Amino acid sequence: MINRRNFLGLGLGALAVVAIPGKLSAIDFRETMPKAWTVTKVDDAVKEIFGSTATTEGSINLSAPDIAENGAVIPVSFDTELKATKVAVFQDANPESAVAVFTIPENAVIDYAIRIKLAKTGTVTVIAEADGKLYSVSKLVKVTIGGCGG
Amino acid sequence: MSDTTKIKAKLKNGIVEVKALASHPMLSYQEAERAKKEANFITYVVAKVGGKVVYEASTSQFLSKDPYMKFSFKGGAVGDDVEITWKDLKGATDTSTAKIK
Repeated sequence: MINRRNFLGLGLGALAVVAIPGKLSAIDFRETMPKAWTVTKVDDAVKEIFGSTATTEGSINLSAPDIAENGAVIPVSFDTELKATKVAVFQDANPESAVAVFTIPENAVIDYAIRIKLAKTGTVTVIAEADGKLYSVSKLVKVTIGGCGG
Repeated sequence: MSDTTKIKAKLKNGIVEVKALASHPMLSYQEAERAKKEANFITYVVAKVGGKVVYEASTSQFLSKDPYMKFSFKGGAVGDDVEITWKDLKGATDTSTAKIK
């Protein structure tokens, strides 16, 4: 049951696969984007990593505690149905903004969790790039004891 | 160093869920200054199954000590090896493997 539309779709899919190989190889953003890790404003870090700060709210589920007693270990998890190619986590409580940048392999299911440090109360932001657009979600986490030795 | 990362990989409904706990102090610049040590933290993590990348992250000093990572992917089978490699600021690396259950 291959009709014309599906058939064309398959062709496009095959083309996309051919075009991607360069992206499938490992990317260490520490090496390719050294500046992204030293900037101190979330917007600047977003710009370094994604090339733009124009984001649309939503399409990502972010889960983090409302109040964290211990800023040294804050569970942060996120999932999305977006066919994202790149996802990054930022916060505005520590000296620098970037926490992690994930390159999403084609067979990945974006349901990720990490644990992060926050020096004080701050906003955790997750941004995903899918189909050339940026999607974002943020959450305020209140920290009662700082995580960076504070 | 090798095999210091604890890995649990489980196949369920066609999706492999991996939970990994790396062993690393993750000293940020601030913490290192207070502790009179050099800052050092994991900067890059990659997980592979059968040579194919299934998870890839560039990370900063703001991951907690002994970083925990959970991720999922499709296409893994029971018995496949999940291989997780990290690299830190000083260039040390660790590769650990576990079988998908």
